[in-house]
Order: sequence, then structure tokens, then C-alpha cells
Amino acid sequence: MTTVTVTTPRARRGDLALLWHQVRYEQLSFWRNPQSAIFTFALPVVFITVLGAVVGNGAGGSYFYGLSVLQYFVSTIAAVSVIGSCYGQLATGLAIRRQNGILKRVRATPLPAWAYFLGLLAHCVMVSAVDVALIVGIGRLFGVPWPGDWPAVGVALVLGAASFCALGVAVASVIRNAEAAPAVAQLLLFPLLFLSGSYMPIHSSALNAISGALPIRPFNEALIGAFAQHAGLEWHNLGVLLAWGAAGAVVAIRRFRWNPRPE
Amino acid sequence: MRTDVVSAGAVTRSPASDAVVVAGLRKSYGAVAAVREVSFTVADGEIFALLGPNGAGKTTTLEILEGFRRRDAGRVEVLGRDPGERSGGRALREEIGLVLQDIAVEPYLTVRETLARNAGYYPAPRDVDEIIALVGLTAQARRKVRSLSGGQQRRLDLALGMIGNPRLLFLDEPTTGFDPSARREAWEIVRRLRAAGTTVLLTTHYMDEAQALADRVAVISDGQIVAEGPPSTIGGRDHARARIRFALPPGWPPDNLPAGAVAADGLVTVETADPTRVLHRLTGWALERGTVLDRLTVDRPSLEDVYLSLTARDHEESTR
Repeated sequence: MTTVTVTTPRARRGDLALLWHQVRYEQLSFWRNPQSAIFTFALPVVFITVLGAVVGNGAGGSYFYGLSVLQYFVSTIAAVSVIGSCYGQLATGLAIRRQNGILKRVRATPLPAWAYFLGLLAHCVMVSAVDVALIVGIGRLFGVPWPGDWPAVGVALVLGAASFCALGVAVASVIRNAEAAPAVAQLLLFPLLFLSGSYMPIHSSALNAISGALPIRPFNEALIGAFAQHAGLEWHNLGVLLAWGAAGAVVAIRRFRWNPRPE
Repeated sequence: MRTDVVSAGAVTRSPASDAVVVAGLRKSYGAVAAVREVSFTVADGEIFALLGPNGAGKTTTLEILEGFRRRDAGRVEVLGRDPGERSGGRALREEIGLVLQDIAVEPYLTVRETLARNAGYYPAPRDVDEIIALVGLTAQARRKVRSLSGGQQRRLDLALGMIGNPRLLFLDEPTTGFDPSARREAWEIVRRLRAAGTTVLLTTHYMDEAQALADRVAVISDGQIVAEGPPSTIGGRDHARARIRFALPPGWPPDNLPAGAVAADGLVTVETADPTRVLHRLTGWALERGTVLDRLTVDRPSLEDVYLSLTARDHEESTR
């Protein structure tokens, strides 16, 4: 008979190796799922390609803050692709995974919660990075210059991705019904995208005051600044984004459930 | 959350060879008591079955042991650890395997990828291809999970429970929805696990499953354990009165009718504690009269009979 309390510790793989293992399989599930690959990944790329073909790199005038039309949209659609890959993917994906019991299965294995969530975060950042690179590359083909401030682009993208991941998990934690999750997530997102100037510049100081306090407009402005205007780091905008990310993380940590049914 | 309950004295401190100890377990959902007072132990290396109708408290008990639900009261030990304490959760999860009631697997990974992913979570997993062969999915190894049949997905579930090479395996109604041959194959897999030293705690509402697999059975009804023991003796099966039955012969009844004989629907049933003597009298009577006792059988109550009488209260309530 073996004793129960004394067990020989077996070697665990390192944390980084475990994280990489997890990211690899998240990537595999993502690219195999046509819905996520097309809606999350391909849509922004198609959008910027069509826009480039239609408007070229014509001057946008003061309506586009002195940028070319396409230069403006390369920045905002890059933001849209990050929001889709992070917020959109997690808000709906996690609600569905919980509903059909996949999250409970994850909890049934020794995989620690931090590894699951860091794996998701890294996966979302990777999808975002590829998406943004494609959008910038396509913009370049239509004559948009390369981003003016690479480090500022990097900071804005990583901070934005992390914040919108946290908000996505928060929304998935608050919406308990998987059928409602995609609809609610989009309902929150779409008006805010328009209001924040993602699909057209907004020149109303009242609207901008509101959207400036919400997460999407600061992200847009941080990216526009980094892509086009050599403005250095936009501390104010990054600060608002970070605050939203922190709020999302608090809600996510307090409200997240693995079990499809309540106790 | 540690809940020490003094009244749990019915079961004393377990010897080290008990894989699972449950003493005075209680759990309510609002005003509904799902588990009233459940105590049992599962010894290292045995197959233990919790048998009971739907809603009797089987899954609640199991989910508390698995760390998915908090208990209201009682002492619970799984491989020497309290599953309610999150801090030891990872170490405990490395040594137990869970097959939950509902099937849930990522649809876009293949069978092999799904198992390889989970194998990476354990410090000493079993070989992926060996497990695939064990559950009979070798031909489907490269197929995506979404294209598998329900039975094949359930076998993948079983494989996921075993991939970490657990010392203790929880099976929550493992063969519900299986066809008879698939069930027999699943039983064979579980027996092979036991032969390799794995402890198994399973829930089921199939009598034949408990009879075929379990070393010991606890019958749970209305949140309480109403009987416990090996399937062959549970509920006093081995001491129960034998039942002799035969077709109603011509000239029945005899003058010296054995006590407890009932004739109904062309069938005579005699219940007796002394089947040898009663049979002798009955066959003697038949031979004297030159008649036969057609369709003669002698049996004891099946596990199913015992189960039905033990869980009668649940039954009445659910049909009310």
C-alpha cells in the first residue's frame, strides 16, 4: 500500500514552457475556426484594402486633422483589429466556452488559472500584432508612410491589447448567457466605435469629451499620434486606457466563473 | 474553506490507505438539501460506485470531492488533501483524473492534439498514442473533435481523464448514452485501470454497471446513503429470502400449502428462508401427482430489486 500523504514530487515543466504550450494550442484552435479567423482577423484587412482601392492616399484636409484619408484609417482600423482580436474574441469566446463546459474542463486539469489567462492574452496580442502589421503593410502599398514613432506604436498596441483583453474578460464575466454574449458585446462596441471616430472623424467637442473618457477614443488617438504625428507617448490617452484596463481586470477577477451553472 | 465538524465522529481518522474520506458531508442549495449526511471511504486501489436515481445527490457529492463546489459541513479528504482548499489545488489535480457528466471539448482540434495539449499540463503524463489506442480511437486520431460521434467524444473524454496517469479517477456517469457494446468496452478499460492500481470513484444509475465494476457500492437516496457494501451482499441480498416461481400446475393448491405461496396470473411465487426444504416438498408433491413444475426458477432479489426497495422513497416523491 502506498501512503497517501507522502508523494514523490514529480518535475513540472517550467512556467514559460507551459505558457508557450498553452499559446500554441490557443493559436491552433483560433486559426482552425473559420468564424474567428474570418470575422476577427480578415475583416479589418479587407476593410483597409477596399478603402485603399477606393480613396487611394488622397489628402484628407483639416477634416482628417491634416492626415491623408488612408493614413487616418490605417490608425483607426489597426485599433479596430486590436479591439476585435482582444475584446471581441474574449467577450464572446469565453462566454461560449463557459456555457458548453469547456472552461470547467480547463479547471479539471492542473493548468493554473494564471497560465490559462496569460496564454489567452499572449494569443490575442499575437493575433493583434499580425493583423496590425498587415494593415500597416497594405497602407504602405497605397502610399501611406511607415509609422513615425515605432516605440510609441509598440507601447500603445501592447497597452491597448492588454486593456481590451481585460475588458473582454470582464464582459464575459458579467454576461452569464452565452447566446446573448455576442449580441451584447457588439451592442456595447459598435456605437462606441462610431462615436470614437473609428469609421469617420468626429468634430463635436461635446461628443469628443464623452468618448475621450471611454476606452476607444484614447486608443485611437494614441495610435494616430504614434503612426503619423511623431508626438511621442501620449500620456493622457495611455492613462485613460490603462484605467479602463485596470477596471476591467478588477471586474474580471471578482466576477469570473468557470462553471456553466451557478452554485 | 475548512469546515471542521465535531459531529463527524462516526468515521474516525482514516488510515493512510484511504484514497477518499467523506464524513458528515452536507450541502444545500437554498432551502433544498442536496446532500444531507453522507459518509463513506474509498480504499486505495478499489472501484467504488455511488449508485442512485437522478437528483439523489451523487453529482453534488462528486463535485465537492472534485473541488468544484463548496460544502456546507463535513470533512472531505482526497488523497490526503482537502479539495476545498485552492492552494493545494494544482498538486491535487496532478494526481486525479476527472470525467465529468457533460461532454465538452474544443471542436476544432484533432483527437491527438486535444490529448497532447492536456498531456502538457501534467508532470508525468501517459503516452498519447497509447491512451488513444486504449480507448479505441486510433482510427480517429487525426480527425477533428467536431466530426466525432457522441460515443467517440465520450471515449475522448475518458482518455482525457486518464492522460495525466492519475492515482484516483472520478467518473460521473461515464457510460450514459453508450450502446451496450460500447459500455462493455468502457467497463473493460476501467478494469484495466484498476489492474494497474488506479482507484476509481464512479457514479451511475445503472445497476448492472455497479454490479459489473464495483468492489463496493453505496446506494444514495434523497441525499443520504441508505446502504453500503459489496454488490453481492448489499441491502442484505445474501440473507434475503429466496424466491421460487413456476407455472400454475393442474390440481393446485396442494393440501399442505407452503407458507407464503401466492398464485397470480398463472404463476406461483413462494418466498422462503429455507429454499431446500420447500423445493423438496414442492417437487415431491408434483412427482406424486405425476405433474411438472413448468418454468421453475429459484432466485434471490437482484441488485435492481434491492435498489428499488432502498430508493422507494425517492421514487414515490418523484412520481407524486
